[in-house]
Amino acid sequence: MLLSAAIWLQNIGLMRALRESDRGYETLLALHVSCIALFAAMILLTDLRLLHLAPRGYSVSDIVDQLRVPKRIGFLCVAACGFLMFGMKAEEYYLNIFFRIKVLLFGMVAVHALVFRPRVYNRVADLEGSAAPPLRAKAAAALSLLLWFGIVCAGRGIGYIHPPPFSHHFVLAQATRTPLDSSGDDAANMLTSDSTHSLRNEKGAHNADH
Amino acid sequence: MLITNPINAFELVFPIMEVFHIAGFAVAIGVTAAVDFRILGLVPLQQTPSQLAKSTGFWMLGGLLVAIFSGFELYTSDPDMYYTNWSFLIKMACLIVAIVLNYTIHRKVVQEDGSSGGAKLVACISLLLWGAVIFGGIFIAFIRGGL
Repeated sequence: MLLSAAIWLQNIGLMRALRESDRGYETLLALHVSCIALFAAMILLTDLRLLHLAPRGYSVSDIVDQLRVPKRIGFLCVAACGFLMFGMKAEEYYLNIFFRIKVLLFGMVAVHALVFRPRVYNRVADLEGSAAPPLRAKAAAALSLLLWFGIVCAGRGIGYIHPPPFSHHFVLAQATRTPLDSSGDDAANMLTSDSTHSLRNEKGAHNADH
Repeated sequence: MLITNPINAFELVFPIMEVFHIAGFAVAIGVTAAVDFRILGLVPLQQTPSQLAKSTGFWMLGGLLVAIFSGFELYTSDPDMYYTNWSFLIKMACLIVAIVLNYTIHRKVVQEDGSSGGAKLVACISLLLWGAVIFGGIFIAFIRGGL
């Protein structure tokens, strides 16, 4: 079902137009990474302040509260570019083990937010005055940094997985309609057999092969 | 005796270096961009640009050093390919100009907490140069050939 949804997504007009555009994917990827840099700065400043590492001269609430909106805008930009990139080659992403790890890590970021937002990020005023932030604030910041670094690692890993040869329904769909029901089984086989062996050292540019 | 470059001898070294390269640039460019956005009045921080730059200077330099060191390691994996790749050359040119700008004119503007048209122009040029570094880096993988 998820695979069918991925194939449907990559075949809608906008995604097809982006995929068939000259340098569309590369440009979106560069925008995605540029936005990550901006978003990362906001995350870093917030978490480093909670860890009491930088910028030390300012109150925790100054940093956390004032960077909240820019951080959300940055995340929206990163997510928008990421969604368009996913939509262009949704089937390949769906079959990619690193993409699945990345999605799992995003889930953990959501759990992190649910756990620590009410206890730390929304109660930064409570952290003022103490010489060093409490353990829960440090744990929240360290976990946040770890999760986002993991997401960067998984994101980069996506480029190192060969797309399975059958994962081009956007090509096949134009020629002959391939039954989707069998592709799910093939996909499961490929995911376990191919992905463990296909890590390669070619500047991570599998996307340039298409 | 021939010594094999470790980056080519072990399959995982290249992707690991790449992750550090990206993370280093994300930190360095991110904090520089935060200062630039503060000059442009787009980040609602109470800290002045000079205060922000002072408190994040260590992370900017650290990120940049990690990015440069890991980038050099990546370059040694296939120098011929990189040396003849237009995108790589543009990235290097922009990187050098961005670093020089950052520690000269940009630093002066930041220390003066400038918010004049000139200061904003410098912030825009800084953002464009660092953006070009990222675009150049991404397009290396997609451009075959060059010189």
